[in-house]
Amino acid sequence: MSTSHVLLGLLAGGPRHGYELKRSHDERLPQAKPLAFGQVYATLGRLERDGLVEQSGQDRDGGPDRTSYVITEAGRARLGEWLTEVEAPAPYVTSALFAKVVVSLLASGERTATDYLVAQRTAHITRLRELTAVKTDSAAAVGDVVAADYAIAHLDADLRWLQTTLLRLADLNEEMNP
Amino acid sequence: MNTLLQGTALHRAYGPTPALRGVDIEVTEGEIVAITGPSGCGKSTLLHCLAGIMRVDSGSVRYRDQDIGLWSESARSKLRRTEFGVLFQFGQLVPELTAGENVALPLLLGGAKRREARKTAEEWLDRFGVAELADKLPGAMSGGQQQRCAVARAMVTEPRALFADEPTGALDVLTGEQVLGEIVRVARERGMAVVLVTHEAQIAAYADREISLRDGALDPTGLGLRTHA
Amino acid sequence: MRPATLFRLAVAGNRTDHLRTALTAASSALALAVLLAAATVIAIKNGESGENAHYASSLLAEPGLRPGVIAALVLLAVPILALAGQSIRLGAPARDRRLAAIRLAGATPGQAVLIAGAETVAAGVIGSFMGLGVFLLLRMVLERRNAGGELLLPTDVLPSVLWIVILMAFVPVMAGLVGALLLRQVVISPLGVVRRTRKRGPWPWPGFLIVVGLVIFQLPAQIKGIDVGTNRWAVLLGGGVALTTIGVVLGTGWIAHTTGRLLLRFGPRPAMLLAGRRLMADPWSGSRTLAALLASVVIGAIALGFRISLVTQFEAWNRYNAQNHEEQLGAGAPEGFYTGAVDLIMVAVGIGVTVAAAGVLISLAEGIVARRRTYAALTAAGVPGRTLSESVLWQTMLPLAPALLLAVTSGIGLIRLTGTEVVAPTVQLTVPVPVGSLALLGGGAFLIMLIATGVGLVVLRSSTDLEELRAA
Repeated sequence: MSTSHVLLGLLAGGPRHGYELKRSHDERLPQAKPLAFGQVYATLGRLERDGLVEQSGQDRDGGPDRTSYVITEAGRARLGEWLTEVEAPAPYVTSALFAKVVVSLLASGERTATDYLVAQRTAHITRLRELTAVKTDSAAAVGDVVAADYAIAHLDADLRWLQTTLLRLADLNEEMNP
Repeated sequence: MNTLLQGTALHRAYGPTPALRGVDIEVTEGEIVAITGPSGCGKSTLLHCLAGIMRVDSGSVRYRDQDIGLWSESARSKLRRTEFGVLFQFGQLVPELTAGENVALPLLLGGAKRREARKTAEEWLDRFGVAELADKLPGAMSGGQQQRCAVARAMVTEPRALFADEPTGALDVLTGEQVLGEIVRVARERGMAVVLVTHEAQIAAYADREISLRDGALDPTGLGLRTHA
Repeated sequence: MRPATLFRLAVAGNRTDHLRTALTAASSALALAVLLAAATVIAIKNGESGENAHYASSLLAEPGLRPGVIAALVLLAVPILALAGQSIRLGAPARDRRLAAIRLAGATPGQAVLIAGAETVAAGVIGSFMGLGVFLLLRMVLERRNAGGELLLPTDVLPSVLWIVILMAFVPVMAGLVGALLLRQVVISPLGVVRRTRKRGPWPWPGFLIVVGLVIFQLPAQIKGIDVGTNRWAVLLGGGVALTTIGVVLGTGWIAHTTGRLLLRFGPRPAMLLAGRRLMADPWSGSRTLAALLASVVIGAIALGFRISLVTQFEAWNRYNAQNHEEQLGAGAPEGFYTGAVDLIMVAVGIGVTVAAAGVLISLAEGIVARRRTYAALTAAGVPGRTLSESVLWQTMLPLAPALLLAVTSGIGLIRLTGTEVVAPTVQLTVPVPVGSLALLGGGAFLIMLIATGVGLVVLRSSTDLEELRAA
């Protein structure tokens, strides 16, 4: 996911300064990784350089420098493109997990790979349970539920893969370490 | 929390085929436990044994420190009707009875007056959002509506434990989630224990704890490995 | 659909389906054989002197007695035909599933009904040929003469070919019609067979059929100039009995529905709620399953009424004779001969009731097996087996009591309306109502049904086995 496009989208509603952008991002996309301030300012700088946003003013009410940004016409055009563009179905979703299993078999052996998969599954299930608890909370907003659903579906896919991989581990080991 | 149900060294076979081979399980009050595992692992059998629907061949099932295996069938019927609620995948409503009558049935069996039973049944139907179906026959309802009525019937006696065997198995994902969410909310609110049998990780995630079975025995890894050292 | 395809699909099925075909065919065969026997008696020609001297039995030799034999045989055919009608529903849930699968494979609703109907008609046709075969075989085997060279049975005459053809066609056509009637309430969709839900319960209009039947039965006695030997006489009597019986059987639908409504309103027990709703949901199941039983009871009541008027008639003659008149009155044979003939009918009725109860047991078991998942789920939910058994008992026995009462009353009413007095020239006696034997008939039928239901409850017990919950 592209942070710059998300920031453009948030700015489409009106001028904001960096701190507001970060807060808005973390609130709207609760299951995403929270943005670091440095990342917000770096991204804004890149967007400004490309002419997609521009500075719209500065307030200085006692605190540090607060520069507001506003989206440009070019920025709106780019945002529009991104929103209609179909994402390439990501082929590497479980890449970290997958890589670890392969490397583990090459470097250490089947036992290490099994232990890793068992531990990984436990971690996944714990997270799945946390996310489900978010959903069943009677105070949960629809936004929270939708965000949790998205993460749950991905974790569930990982879990299925973990399960089948465990059953195939012996064969995989044989293929890789004949 | 106090132990509500305790199964010790449960064995059960269907003819020569063993379904449970020495399972130990404990459910505390108000706890939601998922029993998971692949098809034929014995999870439904475990649920039936815990709920006192089926007798074990050996081992003991204790409910609040009483061995229900020693009870008569009619005593266990009464236990299931009053202290337990039971929920299956589908086909548990009496097709000739209206939704209201179906939900009122456990109360009527307990000797309640028809008018009072009817009123309580309607309250529970309302809680699950199907109050307007009280006078409909199950055949005239959707699968989700039928299952909501079934949940209302399982909960109408305000049981201490609810036993649910793949309760969302016949429903679409969204309806299933809604039904399950409602079950979990009511259970938490009333301190009702839930034993939930499922083969799906997403459904099991509604529970506080997961117990995996494989070939009739506990599977501590939950990964269905045939051999784990 | 080619005839070959139709045939293949009609005879496809499991053991139960073959059993259904076999039972339908067998009962059709039996009914036809009995009807052919009746037609044979009709075909007996009178000799020069007015009677046919070459038969050993006066029942066959005397023209005045033959109509009684004919009537008895026709009456006997009625419960057997009802049993054939009942066999049609045997194993129906399995067939319904097969029909649904055939629909799923692309058959039109009409084709599905045709397939189901074809099976019934085919069974009827097979039954007809079997019946003809049995009849012809028995005719040869039973050709016996007594010492005086007289025939014991009318094995020397045959009904006319036209009669044989008509009767052979009658049985399959009836079977087909009954089958179509039973399927009328059924929608065979690709996803399963659904019974149409009715908006309102059945009306008590079959009551009129009983009234019409009673009236028709009286006609031969009221109208002068109908010769007791004619076909018209037999048709009126037979028609009266048939209409009354159909009225009783169909009236059971209304009785069941009303019983259900009353149970629902006044029954305090949960088992009554279950039974009441079930009766209201399918009020016709009673008349379907009880048809043969009720028909037997109607005929039994007629026979009992006939018997008591015979006995009273002999009593009148005896009293007259005891008054030392010159002229001694009586029938051509001793009393025991006639009552023996009626008792023979009662034996047939007894067999009919027992066979019918067996049929009821089969359909009861069918119904329970079809609903086994619900029963198992209810048991799991803590509904005691006692309550389920009780609901089946209420559901079967409660409408049965008024239905049996109606059957007994209609049967005895048929006979009594033709006259309740017998006369010998100076003696006049009132024919009593044979309350005791009627109660025995009704009570016996009730008891046999109670036993059948009891056996059915054993099936229920195994149907609450939780294995049923595993098979999704």
